[in-house]
Amino acid sequence: MVVLTGLALLSACSKKDNSEPSSQIRIDSITASENPVMAYDTSMITVYATGENLQYKWVANHGKIKGSGTTVKYSACQSCQGLNTITCKVFNETGEVSDTIMVRVTSWHSKK
Amino acid sequence: MLQTTKYFLILLCLWTGNKAFSQCCTSGNPFISDAEQPALQSKILMVSLNYRYSHSGKYYSEDSRFTKLPFQEVANSNYTELQVGYGITNWLTALTDLGYFFNKTLETPGIDSYKGNGFGDLGLYAKFNAYSNSRLRLTISPTIGVKFPVGVFDQEVENVQLPISVQPSAGSYRYLANLFISKGFGKVTLAGFASYEYSQFIESENFYYKYGDLWIAALYFNYSPWKRFTINLQIRDEYRTKSTRENNEMIESSSYNVAFFTPQVTYAFKHNWYLSAYGDIPLYKYYNGIQLSFGYAVSLRITKKIDLIALMARKRSSDLGGSENM
Repeated sequence: MVVLTGLALLSACSKKDNSEPSSQIRIDSITASENPVMAYDTSMITVYATGENLQYKWVANHGKIKGSGTTVKYSACQSCQGLNTITCKVFNETGEVSDTIMVRVTSWHSKK
Repeated sequence: MLQTTKYFLILLCLWTGNKAFSQCCTSGNPFISDAEQPALQSKILMVSLNYRYSHSGKYYSEDSRFTKLPFQEVANSNYTELQVGYGITNWLTALTDLGYFFNKTLETPGIDSYKGNGFGDLGLYAKFNAYSNSRLRLTISPTIGVKFPVGVFDQEVENVQLPISVQPSAGSYRYLANLFISKGFGKVTLAGFASYEYSQFIESENFYYKYGDLWIAALYFNYSPWKRFTINLQIRDEYRTKSTRENNEMIESSSYNVAFFTPQVTYAFKHNWYLSAYGDIPLYKYYNGIQLSFGYAVSLRITKKIDLIALMARKRSSDLGGSENM
């Protein structure tokens, strides 16, 4: 019980990203093929960045991202309606930089 | 009566085996609908291990199936939970549970698949034996507790963060209070259960989200046709209010009300071992907006109860027996 309580208290400490900002990476832009995008449709999100040996990390505060690298597929369900933030972190051995794109998800409606 | 019970049991097993339903891809540990709710007696230790499989694949809008989407989405999870309870005194029981998802998967068959796995949440509860009358066979047991988001949240696959719906942990602290009342009548026990759960905002680097409040009310009908065998029939209603996102914006497609029928059979083996099997079957579903609805779940639970007072008494008597023999 004591161990479990300790675990619980430890959980209060959220994870921090310790990566340093890099001056050798630049994000030029992030684009979305569809914006706004209807719920249950998809939008291709692409990051344009310069630097050596770049890797890419993607996060959406609402909705789902599939894929990896410079272009990923974003989709959202009806409960993700609103202005959502997609963050791309571009990193290499020198550090990381990040940028966001806001994508509005609208309510689903029949396309007929 | 015995014959009727036998047919009823066969029907029950067929029903639960083929058509048991339950929730899927909800936040954190799923609700374990086991009917064994009263507080433990002093110095009783209870350890149980649950396994639960749940599946979901139908969208709902209000109380009807929604079939206009041009794709199919399926969700399933394989979940296990360890529960430990200890009767500190006759009026206070400490309980804890820790969940683990072998998988929590959301997929569009042949197109996309999102799969999370890992530890869920840790619950710590205090259950009180507020009133107990063995002559009337009446017990009243309120509980308060906290669920800690100790498990995996912000899980990534190939540098892409998984959506909230497949993260194993809820990502937020949740506080709950419930009340269990049971009354025995011959071979039958009737019980009622009411629960309220409040979730804090998820405080994560990437998510700003608050699950809606969860209200649960259940009625149990418990019958023991034979000495070691118990049938429990449960009717339960789960109502979740709307979730909230940034700027206190309410999320329309997040509230729901689902009424379940949960049949359960339990067999008591020798030495206080118990084996239970149960399933959750939605009888009525209402979803605001469009949502993937609860599907089916089947659960197995094995429980061991240890009476520490009896254990110590046996040890003392065997020690005494040993010293008398010397």
